Amino acid sequence: MASRRRMLLKVIILGDSGVGKTSLMNQYVNRKFSNQYKATIGADFLTKEIQFEDRLFTLQIWDTAGQERFQSLGVAFYRGADCCVLVHDVNVKKSFDSLNNWREEFLIQASPSDPENFPFVVLGNKIDVDGGNSRVVSEKKAKAWCASKGNIPYFETSAKEGFNVEAAFECIAKNALKNEPEEEMYIPDTIDVARARQQKSSGCEC
Amino acid sequence: MHETDIHDLSDDADYAAASKQGSSSVTRSDSSKRSSSSEPEDAQIVYLKDNVSIHPTQYATERIGGRLKLIKQGSSLVMTWIPYKGQSSNPRLSEKDKNLYTIRAVPFSDIQSIRRHIPTIGWQYVIVVLSSGLAFPPLYFYSGGVREFLATIKQHVVIVRSSEDANVFLVNNFQDPLQRTLSSLELPRSLANGTPSSSFRGSPSPSDNNNQETQLDTVNTSGSGQQNNNRQRQKTQDPARDLSIQVLEKFSLVTRFARETTSQLFRDSLVDGQGQSQSQSQGQGQNERRRNNWASKDHKPLEMAPIDAPIAPKDVPVPSDPLEFDKLSLVWGKPRQHPLGVEEWSNFLDYEGRIMDPDALKKRIFYGGVEHNLRKEVWAFLLGYYSYDSTYAEREYVVSVKTSEYMTIKNQWQSISPEQAKRFTKFRERKGLIEKDVVRTDRSLSFYEGDDNPNVRLLHDILLTYSFYNFDLGYCQGMSDLLSPILFIMKDESEAFWCFVSLMERLGPNFNRDQNGMHSQLFALSKLVELLDSPLHNYFKQNDCLNYFFCFRWILIQFKREFEYDKTLRLWEVLWTHYLSEHLHLYVCIAILKRQRGKIMGEEMDFDTLLKFINELSGQIELDPILRDAEALCVCAGENGAGLIPPGTPPALPIPEASMYQQQDDEVL
Repeated sequence: MASRRRMLLKVIILGDSGVGKTSLMNQYVNRKFSNQYKATIGADFLTKEIQFEDRLFTLQIWDTAGQERFQSLGVAFYRGADCCVLVHDVNVKKSFDSLNNWREEFLIQASPSDPENFPFVVLGNKIDVDGGNSRVVSEKKAKAWCASKGNIPYFETSAKEGFNVEAAFECIAKNALKNEPEEEMYIPDTIDVARARQQKSSGCEC
Repeated sequence: MHETDIHDLSDDADYAAASKQGSSSVTRSDSSKRSSSSEPEDAQIVYLKDNVSIHPTQYATERIGGRLKLIKQGSSLVMTWIPYKGQSSNPRLSEKDKNLYTIRAVPFSDIQSIRRHIPTIGWQYVIVVLSSGLAFPPLYFYSGGVREFLATIKQHVVIVRSSEDANVFLVNNFQDPLQRTLSSLELPRSLANGTPSSSFRGSPSPSDNNNQETQLDTVNTSGSGQQNNNRQRQKTQDPARDLSIQVLEKFSLVTRFARETTSQLFRDSLVDGQGQSQSQSQGQGQNERRRNNWASKDHKPLEMAPIDAPIAPKDVPVPSDPLEFDKLSLVWGKPRQHPLGVEEWSNFLDYEGRIMDPDALKKRIFYGGVEHNLRKEVWAFLLGYYSYDSTYAEREYVVSVKTSEYMTIKNQWQSISPEQAKRFTKFRERKGLIEKDVVRTDRSLSFYEGDDNPNVRLLHDILLTYSFYNFDLGYCQGMSDLLSPILFIMKDESEAFWCFVSLMERLGPNFNRDQNGMHSQLFALSKLVELLDSPLHNYFKQNDCLNYFFCFRWILIQFKREFEYDKTLRLWEVLWTHYLSEHLHLYVCIAILKRQRGKIMGEEMDFDTLLKFINELSGQIELDPILRDAEALCVCAGENGAGLIPPGTPPALPIPEASMYQQQDDEVL
């Protein structure tokens, strides 16, 4: 049970409707971009096998509906998450303003064992649009918010052009992995003390 | 049910004659001597149950309702079942049919045993086996009461539970119960093959006996006549066929019901099997083996899934579908018909354009859908934009009034200036959401494809107008999916808007902020699965899947993303008829789940895997078989199913209480 669970890293992508959640996921997993993606209804996920320090993991990336009206579904989809990715569109102020709400809503619904230290990663997407001329959320502003929330890593991305997507998800995976051993300790059925210690030490290595 | 329709025996000449025939026919038996007096004043009704039905065909909708009575006459107990008069739910069921099935005064001395069947789904029924070894068709207790029936019998005659089968109750049995039970089930083969036997003495009257004989003959001929030419008739040597007939006929008379159900089931399975063996030269493959297994295991029923369904790769035992046996004996979705065409449509209209029989129209559309070029006109009725009793002229008037009404509402947002919009966050947000969604709604369809497509603009305008028409609900993702086919069919902006408005009257709660419409549907779905497939329900329960969120997309947008566009149009018009149920879509969910149950349980899917699996079924689901299954499931669940769906669950119209509550709320404000 514990070993199987350790292999799977669950990542949830949240953010306002149309910021590019589905596109980011598909760009990372399939290296494809399409402007024909339909609005996500309910939730879906893609998986990707990743190697990290000689170990193999399955990254399970969850894409959810962006309209806040569907947030009540989160309970079912967020549980067991190892990392949460908050996405905004740098060209839409509202999508940046919503990050706080998304973060809080996630912490309420996923109720991770250690909310203070639960790993988030923030992505400012669509930096390619209009050559950056329609941009309304500056990198500085975004980084300031991330710093205020416990130094959340921040990446500027373009799902369309594949810019910085790989790097962002590498960080996401790393953070998810960092979360994992701590979470494992809270699972009551992990009674093998030696094993639990082992996991913790592997967590410290990252 | 309808008390006025109930055929009261006491003052019915037919009954008087029948009871006379009944008593004269039983003079051979000992008990009749005891009850030689047939004076009506002697008779005392000790048990009366309404809504006890016989299913003369495999379709549960074609039933003959009646009243079951136990009558105490002197020291003997007599059972009668008389069908209601003039209540035929189906034109195919003639008065003659009713007479055939009528049970006229059968004394319990002629009854050998009663077999009780209490299925987990569907209705309880009993099969009354006569001393001759023959039996009456199953009596379905639509309003329950089997236990009471047996308890009443127990008060008046000696009745013991069979040691062999706890559901078999032996009447007047002082010999080895086991022996008797077994022998009662062994019918002579000649009977099973439809030849009337001289041992037909259980029949209450000579005239009935004749009827039965005629019936048996017609069954044989009509049975073969019904065989489709391209469907090869089964060989009589087919072990599965013989066995199945025995299984059914052990318990009931050779009725059309038994015959047709059996032949239909085996025709279907054989057609599938044959198609398979023709396409694969190694015909004795998986399917062949499975059928033989079925044959060797007596009661093990047919798989609900098509016989060529993929076999679960892992070796996890999957509990069998509890519906399978009941399906064998009860329901089978009707074959889909061709869509309603122009000529047939014109027959539904009177000279001024009124629809003369809306129910017949809905039924017709339920079974076949509508031809594409008729959809614009017919959908307007189905959705409630046109009323069925309106004339051509009235509809023309409605269209013109509604068009100007639409323009008025549209003007409300069109007149918002940029300065005003700057100070109107809610408007800007809604407009932004809609703009984002319409450009990603069905763009691969030629109707919506390409840059600056005017129809995409129309989607936007209609949705934004709707968010002003229903400002409380506003815009929510999924609405563009619901509007797209409507605009595609209606072509006209205002008509599409009003049809969408009508649809949202029913589906609006899907998009409520508190998601109550979705939650009540998912809840109803879980209850219905519990009723119709308890092993699957238990599986979901064990695997923490009871929230049914994996069906969220199916329900929110009525399977719009699951089928090809033209199939969605077909499905929607079928759902909108509300013919069997307003909630047929829930039975569609169950039909799909049931077809995949072997895979879901066999591969031990957890919530995540299941969600992904369900999402990936998109585009892989065949509509027609699913509709047939859904129909069968809906009929099978019957009133029990309907009772599990909370009032006001979409697409049912919101219940008045709810709106009253809202009004009170407003008053407080």
